[in-house]
Amino acid sequence: MYLIKAVVRPEKRDEVLYELTSAGFNAATVVDVVGRGKQKGIKIGNIVYDEIPKVMIIMAVKDADKDDIVSVIMRAAKTSEKGAFGDGKIFVSPLEEAYTVSTGAKEL
Amino acid sequence: MKEIIAVVRMNRTNATKKALIESGAAGFTALKVMGRGKLVEDKGVIAARKANMMELAIGEDAKEAEQLIDGFLDGQRLFPRRMFHVIAKNQDVDQIVQAIMNANRTENKVGDGKIFVLPIAEVVRIRTAERNEVAL
Repeated sequence: MYLIKAVVRPEKRDEVLYELTSAGFNAATVVDVVGRGKQKGIKIGNIVYDEIPKVMIIMAVKDADKDDIVSVIMRAAKTSEKGAFGDGKIFVSPLEEAYTVSTGAKEL
Repeated sequence: MKEIIAVVRMNRTNATKKALIESGAAGFTALKVMGRGKLVEDKGVIAARKANMMELAIGEDAKEAEQLIDGFLDGQRLFPRRMFHVIAKNQDVDQIVQAIMNANRTENKVGDGKIFVLPIAEVVRIRTAERNEVAL
């Protein structure tokens, strides 16, 4: 299993979640975060904004679904065909165990 | 060392905190998050609660009310949840997971939350620069 953390633009949140549901992956946790990337924030005039608001979507997924989900998020979160700075990042980390509280089962 | 991430109901925050202390992991980081789970495929699971809510909606347009309640219960919407991050020693993980599950189980069958266990490579205590298990 993997834990996917995707940082996307706030205005793309609903689109990404809708696309994920359509593709059959409903479960997700959504957090509002701030951050900066490789460009060290945005410089407008003399002011540097380095705490840019983003949305982090956290998903626990089966090994077989990982690539599908990454490509769905990638497609939905892009702002244009080429993409632009600030469209976000997707991180995938290993997940050893997952439990469902209601049943106590050790599964997703 | 392992990181335990638990997503639980907002009104179980205090019960979860108590359970964490009792299972020997007093330290945690908590976030307010929005979340949703699997789509409810077996409608029987939510039938009782749906009937309850339909009773509350007497006097309103039945079709509209049903649509609203379905949208509320079928799992497509995001609901507020509390996300706990706990870092623990390998041998304590099972005990902590059990404690969180016991504190959060309800009669609702869906929406009780999930618990994830991830590997942690290194821990540093900033105050003393101690590393790994002593720093927990």
